[in-house]
Amino acid sequence: MDSLINAANVVLPTAYLAAAVGYATLFYARSARGGLVGSICFRAALVLHLGFLILLTLRWKQYPAATVAQALTVTAFAVAIVYLFLEWYGRERSTGLWILSLVFLFQLLSSLTWSAPPPNLKAFHSSWFGVHVTLALFGYAAFTLSGGYGFLFLRLYRELKLGRFQTFFNRLPPLEVLDRMMTGALVSGFILFSGAIVAGAAWAESLSLTRWFDDPWSIVTLATWLFYGAALALRRLRRWQARQTAVASLVGIAAILASLLVVNSVTSGFHGFN
Amino acid sequence: MPDVNRAAPRLGRSYSLLLVGVDHHKADLALRERASYASDEAEDVLVQLLTRPEIAEAALLSTCNRTELYLRWHEEKTALQTALGTVFAPRAPELVEEGRYYVCHGEEAVHHLLSVASGTESMVLGEPEILGQVRQAGGLAKSIGTTGAFLDQLFRSAALTGRRVRGETSIGTGAVSLGSAVVELAANIFNGLDGRRALLLGAGDAARLMAHALTDRGLGSIVVTNRSEDRLKAFVDSIPGLQPAPWTERLRLSAESDLIAVATGAQQPILGRSELASVMRRRQSRPLLIADLAVPRNVDPAAADIDNLFLHPIDSLQGLIQRNLEQRRREVARVQEIVDEEVTRFTQWYRSLDAEPIVAALQKRAEKIRKHELENALGRFPAELHDDLERLTRSLVRKILHHPSTTLRSGSADSNLAELDVARRLFHLGEDLDSDD
Repeated sequence: MDSLINAANVVLPTAYLAAAVGYATLFYARSARGGLVGSICFRAALVLHLGFLILLTLRWKQYPAATVAQALTVTAFAVAIVYLFLEWYGRERSTGLWILSLVFLFQLLSSLTWSAPPPNLKAFHSSWFGVHVTLALFGYAAFTLSGGYGFLFLRLYRELKLGRFQTFFNRLPPLEVLDRMMTGALVSGFILFSGAIVAGAAWAESLSLTRWFDDPWSIVTLATWLFYGAALALRRLRRWQARQTAVASLVGIAAILASLLVVNSVTSGFHGFN
Repeated sequence: MPDVNRAAPRLGRSYSLLLVGVDHHKADLALRERASYASDEAEDVLVQLLTRPEIAEAALLSTCNRTELYLRWHEEKTALQTALGTVFAPRAPELVEEGRYYVCHGEEAVHHLLSVASGTESMVLGEPEILGQVRQAGGLAKSIGTTGAFLDQLFRSAALTGRRVRGETSIGTGAVSLGSAVVELAANIFNGLDGRRALLLGAGDAARLMAHALTDRGLGSIVVTNRSEDRLKAFVDSIPGLQPAPWTERLRLSAESDLIAVATGAQQPILGRSELASVMRRRQSRPLLIADLAVPRNVDPAAADIDNLFLHPIDSLQGLIQRNLEQRRREVARVQEIVDEEVTRFTQWYRSLDAEPIVAALQKRAEKIRKHELENALGRFPAELHDDLERLTRSLVRKILHHPSTTLRSGSADSNLAELDVARRLFHLGEDLDSDD
């Protein structure tokens, strides 16, 4: 089983990279054949990824989110699933290259930081833990999508503003749609994250943990929640326009990734409870 | 105009096809206007052509950029003289002077029509209307019975080529006029134009261009305002679907609009930065596209730094058009590949109409069926009868095929194209003709 897990850590980023390359040929060369290859690779990668997560759950008999590497791979999977839905619902594949590049990046970071076995704490077998990490990781996935669409919004905005019609003009959904997707993802992420914090508090309560502020990841989580909450409030109050929200989305996801890697380097588990 | 120097794909037997035409390379607009045919006029002239013994089939393609006559002939030289004398000379005698018209024969004419349908021969490279015009020309000739199997298939091939070219290349994408460039910009900003509001400031030629580009796009309203009320009234009356508004209302209207086109003769900016900043505040910074079509510019360039305001002067729009034209030019090589493929496919169809291959394929098909049925049946008969059955079935097949075979061989391929095509389709002989076994 361990050899399968090790193999998946190589195969999964490769499959997502192949999918992104296929989508790249669709985006840059408008190659329908390349797009088809990308779609096939993407769906194959998703099936493999699902199998990988099931394998992890069976192997360690706990939800596969006990380490930063595991959290990254679950987040990558969540982003990929949400993108698959958007692609099917919107019949729109022009953003696939960029979103799958993020999925690839998350999966690559997961594979590179992989360490087995994960800590086997009693805390990780609590049902509150399942609710907390599910909400949190889907929240991260939503923030990742928001960052991806924010990036695309900024690129197209720049080309339209400067009258330099290059890479993104005529190849992406219009600005209003990108804004709607970015903001929608941001709102969804914030709601999921709020739920994750409530579930996390309940989880900590069930474990009689009172000094949560000693845990670096809890602090990062609260800071993230406040940052996105402020961004949404400013947008709601019309102090910020779509452009500023897009910048915030990008900064947010970069900060989350950096925090994950920093926390991973100072603690062996996802939270510092062990 | 056909490029006679370009190597067309080598075909087998030459077609008895002739093209005579004038286009925007050979004749100016005034001459082309005189040479153009409305549908009812085209019907008359085609029927007239078919009364001539040297002409077997005829179709006329007449657009604002070209008038082209496609003929399948019985006698080529006379057919050319008839074409010039019937279609072009009565409209403008100078058209039949040497160098005013062009003539293509056989495969070159096929290649030309397919290229025309693909948009590479158009004045505006890749313009979409030509495909519909080619379809119409073929349909008209077919409906009045001046085409047969050959020209019908040729126009079907042309329509298919046009569709493939537009589906598989980008030759028809991207705006190549000022009006459509503004619409293209809007499509990159707004989620659809349905229900959007447009405002035109000015009532001159550029504003007229924009008004034409914006009508029929599903916009909620197109409001026009101008300093001179008389001119405004004449402008609005000349284009349906426009709403006039007083000049003094322009700032209020700007705040309510999603797209503004400015094209007045003012020598100073009529929309300043501070005014536009105020407009954007009133519209709560929803995106606003402003196309400044005027020279000198009518909108303060400093307004370009306002968030969500997309200001495009005429240079920016021209840049977009040049970019799109360049993209279209890059597609021409791929378009030519598709045209060549379709010319080859047309040639294969034409070759398949030779009588001998059709007769051979028919006999091969019948023999195959005979053998198959015989093999299935032999087991039910005593061995001593097998030779008799073999002789009987051979004789049956030979006699059944005798009359169809001699009929198909009786005329030249050109004179009984329709019969050959029917035979090929009736017995599903396409695959047998292409295979060697």
